Amino acid sequence: MMEFTRLFLREEFRMHTYYTNPRMFLAFPFIVCMFSFGVALTSDRILADTTLDEVMLLLHVSVFLYGLSVGAFGFMGREYVERQHGRRKYLVASPLTLPISFRKTFLGMYLRDVIFYVLLLLLPATLGLLFSVPFSGFRWTSIVLLFLAALVSFLIGISLSFFASVVYIRNHAAFIGVTVLIVGLFVAQVGFDAIPLAFLLPGLAMQHSLPPYSYALTSELVLSALGGVALIAIFVAAAYALIPTRFSPVSPKTETRDLPRMFEKLAFAKQYRHLLAKELVDLRRSGTITKMFFSFVTPLLFLSFTAWFVRTGLAIPVGFNTVFYGAMVGFFGVILYSWLNNVDIMEYFETLPVPPTKVIKTKIMAFLMLTSWISLIFLLGISFLNDDMSLLWLAIPVMFVVSIYMVVMTAYLTGLRTNTFLFDANILVKFTAMSMLPDVCLVIISFTIDRSLFFASLGILVVCSVLILATLILYRGIDDKWKRAEFTD
Amino acid sequence: MSVIQTENISKRFGDFSALKDINITVDEGELFGLCGPNGAGKTTLLRILTGQLVPSEGHASVLGTDPVKEPIGVKSIMGIVPEVESPPSYLTAYEFLYFVSKVRKIEASEGKIRKWMDFFDLTENEGVVCRDLSKGNRQKLMLAGAFMHEPRVLFLDEPLINLDPLYQRKVKDYLSGYVKKGGTIFMCTHLLEMAEKICSSVAIISGGSIIVREGIDRLLGEFGSLENAFISLVGERGSR
Repeated sequence: MMEFTRLFLREEFRMHTYYTNPRMFLAFPFIVCMFSFGVALTSDRILADTTLDEVMLLLHVSVFLYGLSVGAFGFMGREYVERQHGRRKYLVASPLTLPISFRKTFLGMYLRDVIFYVLLLLLPATLGLLFSVPFSGFRWTSIVLLFLAALVSFLIGISLSFFASVVYIRNHAAFIGVTVLIVGLFVAQVGFDAIPLAFLLPGLAMQHSLPPYSYALTSELVLSALGGVALIAIFVAAAYALIPTRFSPVSPKTETRDLPRMFEKLAFAKQYRHLLAKELVDLRRSGTITKMFFSFVTPLLFLSFTAWFVRTGLAIPVGFNTVFYGAMVGFFGVILYSWLNNVDIMEYFETLPVPPTKVIKTKIMAFLMLTSWISLIFLLGISFLNDDMSLLWLAIPVMFVVSIYMVVMTAYLTGLRTNTFLFDANILVKFTAMSMLPDVCLVIISFTIDRSLFFASLGILVVCSVLILATLILYRGIDDKWKRAEFTD
Repeated sequence: MSVIQTENISKRFGDFSALKDINITVDEGELFGLCGPNGAGKTTLLRILTGQLVPSEGHASVLGTDPVKEPIGVKSIMGIVPEVESPPSYLTAYEFLYFVSKVRKIEASEGKIRKWMDFFDLTENEGVVCRDLSKGNRQKLMLAGAFMHEPRVLFLDEPLINLDPLYQRKVKDYLSGYVKKGGTIFMCTHLLEMAEKICSSVAIISGGSIIVREGIDRLLGEFGSLENAFISLVGERGSR
């Protein structure tokens, strides 16, 4: 199994570095390390406004959600096994031709991603904290224990995702049952405090059994650690047991003539009409639209929950007004652009007179059509709930300007391969600078609205004007930058 | 009149030379077959001529259009069947041809879609999404997509490889009729018997260089069969 996992890791590395410089890819953990080093250096300031409890909660929930978002090996594996056309073939599909079981290859994928993400994110982040010890005064033992506790939270997330996705490929109704159960457990905790959070996140419970919460290595720590390991083992064992021994072809899926109907409706898209129609049909039939919806709505809900928690639960008077939400909603759109590039192989475009830049621009249009209404509904809802509708006149334009800027900027930097290029350190640095700067500016200005609406509006107008100009320049730049891009996978 | 022309085309991928100084001319009405061992450079040359790849050196022109300078323009005037049959996964067979007709701005497209669906007997599967079609049906669809706009030149990479004998015959007959009407075909293939029967001229490429380029009759006169020519020329080169 070790040799097999090594092969999987090599495959993953080559996949990520095929279109980018391997050195730039390997610089990614270095950036993560530097980032966590920077956070550690400013920890005094962070801990002055936020308690250690909140920081730990945020850390463990984030790591758990991250694990959850990357671990759907059931979906991924099935997709790789069934997508037997196109140039790329993956190791996970080897049981189709070799005497090896899908259980083994799926488990290989799981182990590969655990090692991959630990080496790429968790370990570099921990090293950054360790490097800060002479300046921050953190104890290295606390950092090592923090790493172990965070690892447990990450592994629970990724293992749960592995298990749930395998249940999905076995039985859709059972998957819905599992999802409802998990969401129910979290709602019971967050909404009614009916279950200790430690039961859901043993990593966090481990943290609470350690200094500065507790100075004696109590049985609580051992129990939490054992509980965490047991949960991981149960999820992985159950997923392993449920992995099908073969993937029988399902009955061919037939569809009605949706494309011509969609084409008729999209006259406004002019020269992009046929490409946009195809994009929308693809999104619906591939199920990507549902995945996109959840991957957009989940961070929005998480953001709302965090803001609510900080303001109501912690009683910290931070001015999270409607303009703040407008800026943040635009920021999350990047996740969706990335999805749009993963719907299907695009090799057939090589045989048609379609420039890659036109396909990129079509994806931007599809993004705007799909997200604008969700963003708007969210903004209207959150402003209504916060009784802050008076700022909608400012928040709505901010949301649209940031959304369009973010997606055009991402398209400019990453073309049709967002997932691959965002792991290139060079591009990641540009992306971080180009996304964080305007967003931080807008968030800070939004906090000053209470003091002077006039000056805050003026500041927002300046930032938005710069963003509109940048959007136009980047949009035109797509033509030069990606005109020679290949569609071949 | 020459339809396809290359001048000293070379292509390198890092240190690897995939093509070395390729000079080929294909005339109007010619069915030109490019044969060669695996990895010889057949598909690379086809991809350069169809605007998919940029050569490291040299020039090419197809119907007077430079595929490097005008990759989209050159694709508008030709039909291409790629090495791997990969129509879009989530469109149905009908919708794929509809999509091609819109991209290529084909007039009276409905009749043409119907004609090619019937030709390849795809009508029964017209509502099936491409990812659920058999390999052979996906290949038929790629062929239909390339033939539909009746281009003056076709670039085909192993066009018959996934087809059953019935459709191999049907496509061969169509291709022969197409060149008789003045169309030009550039075809990469391993199927030497088929190339022997339908090609008017053949080139054999090995290690990125053209080792022979002759009319089919002359090659057959010298070696007896294309297989003999291939084995003696490529084998001779390999043993050097």
